[in-house]
Amino acid sequence: MKKVILIFLVLSLLIFIRPVLGFNSNISDTITPTSLNITDTISEGGFVSEAINGIKQFYHYTGFANAESGNIIMILIGIIFIYLGIKFDYEPLLLIPIGVGVIIGNIPFVAGNQTGIYETGSVLNYLYFGVVKGIYPPLIFLGIGAMTDFSSLIANPKLMLLGAAAQIGVFATFLGALYLGFSLPEAGAIGIIGGADGPTAIFLSSKLANGINILADGTTVKNLIGPIAIAAYSYMALVPVIQPPIMKLLTSKKERLIRMKPPRAVTQKEKMIFPVVALLFTTFISPSSLPLLGMLFFGNLLKESGRTERLADTARTKLIDIVTILLGVTVGASTQADVFITKDSMMIFGLGAISFVIATAGGLLFAKFMNLFLKGDNKLNPLIGAAGVSAVPDSARVVHAEGLKADPHNYLLMHAMAPNVAGVIGSAIAAGIILSFLG
Amino acid sequence: MTHFLVFTDTLSEGYIILVTGLIIVFSGLLLLTVFFKYGLPIMLYVYKIITKGRDKKVKEISPRVNKEFTGEIAAAISVAIHMYLDERHDKENAILTIKQARKLYSPWSSKIYGVYNNRF
Repeated sequence: MKKVILIFLVLSLLIFIRPVLGFNSNISDTITPTSLNITDTISEGGFVSEAINGIKQFYHYTGFANAESGNIIMILIGIIFIYLGIKFDYEPLLLIPIGVGVIIGNIPFVAGNQTGIYETGSVLNYLYFGVVKGIYPPLIFLGIGAMTDFSSLIANPKLMLLGAAAQIGVFATFLGALYLGFSLPEAGAIGIIGGADGPTAIFLSSKLANGINILADGTTVKNLIGPIAIAAYSYMALVPVIQPPIMKLLTSKKERLIRMKPPRAVTQKEKMIFPVVALLFTTFISPSSLPLLGMLFFGNLLKESGRTERLADTARTKLIDIVTILLGVTVGASTQADVFITKDSMMIFGLGAISFVIATAGGLLFAKFMNLFLKGDNKLNPLIGAAGVSAVPDSARVVHAEGLKADPHNYLLMHAMAPNVAGVIGSAIAAGIILSFLG
Repeated sequence: MTHFLVFTDTLSEGYIILVTGLIIVFSGLLLLTVFFKYGLPIMLYVYKIITKGRDKKVKEISPRVNKEFTGEIAAAISVAIHMYLDERHDKENAILTIKQARKLYSPWSSKIYGVYNNRF
């Protein structure tokens, strides 16, 4: 915390030194000098005044001259992201690239020199292309598929329903966003934050709320990719903070002590059949989620087939790392203050928090509901319902930790992974449904 | 159409999407559940029959052959193998020594080769 304060002090000192030096007086005059003006002044003034003019001009191109309070706020947020990632280990693989991206995106600059992420032709803009066109999310899903072990889900298929139950967060948030006055496509993109799945959220918002599509009444949709992605990723990182209180609130001590019987061993054949069958079923139901689910199950088949270990290895290590780096930095950089700090973003952040709460509660309550029909050692520990909000594998870990708090010998991780990966499938299906309705 | 009407339309459409969306998500995952609960064992059974002939009993072929061998045991074994193959950091030698690896004299560092300009 001390360091953050120190950085803040240094930054504010640099900002407030500006009026003291008197550089603020006539920015608008000197900021657009033509080459003609410069040659004029060279012939008139002396060497010293020329040098000072040059320095002044240079100064107007620096970040100090162009900084606005929004930039500073966003840079501070970026630093907080990095701090959270390093200090508390909250999804550092995401928070650190995004945090740095936020800083990069909010360095003040003079517009028109192909610097910023929203300026056509800038390097960042080209990298951002993968976000805007929804290229990165399917690639991430390929890697996730090659990492994920679906065996606990195959062993206990009914846990798949918990992944569906948590999607109530998506649709509830969708409705909430409509009430707050967002248009249908925007609300759909905001709703998917409740799916707790960063790539899915980016995919859907790049299709629905990209600032390009034209609405039915003739207006253009707002570009909400930045706020939605930041909200989704930051709440995913905050899963260890958001979920435990809801878990404690909605489950009794007795329920938390329920021990589930260990899942049966799953044969390799079943594991190989799973991605093919699941791909066919899910994409026939919701073809719009094809880019996400197709890549997810393709990656999983690479892993389970046993013949393509090289491809699976690349997909789950190098490929996903490369895409995560690009995605993190560009999503972070897309939070340029003048685009990002709006009332909409604040509302999206509020809705995002609520959606996580609803999704967690939905999973927990549905697990309790399922318990009404299950007997003996088939009963579920309702805590694993909370893992139905994707956020792989953090929410499963949170469930595990909460289970251990109630009973130090109750290991829920394997059980929690089932609704966890089902949540990924569920939120991708939900995204496909929203896309087919509103796209 | 007034703005108010548009707004109510949006909301009612929202409710429609809410309900249908939830139903589709649930039915999709329910379908998967049912398939993996009942369909897959049957498929595996049929596969066995095709490949091994009809003399096998259903019990032997079901995927739950061995109740003793649970997923937890499989996980423990795979963790052990993983640790053995990839995570054996603690077996590294902690003592660092600096060995003189290269020879003190080598033609590459020799001054005399620079002197013989006429060698080639």
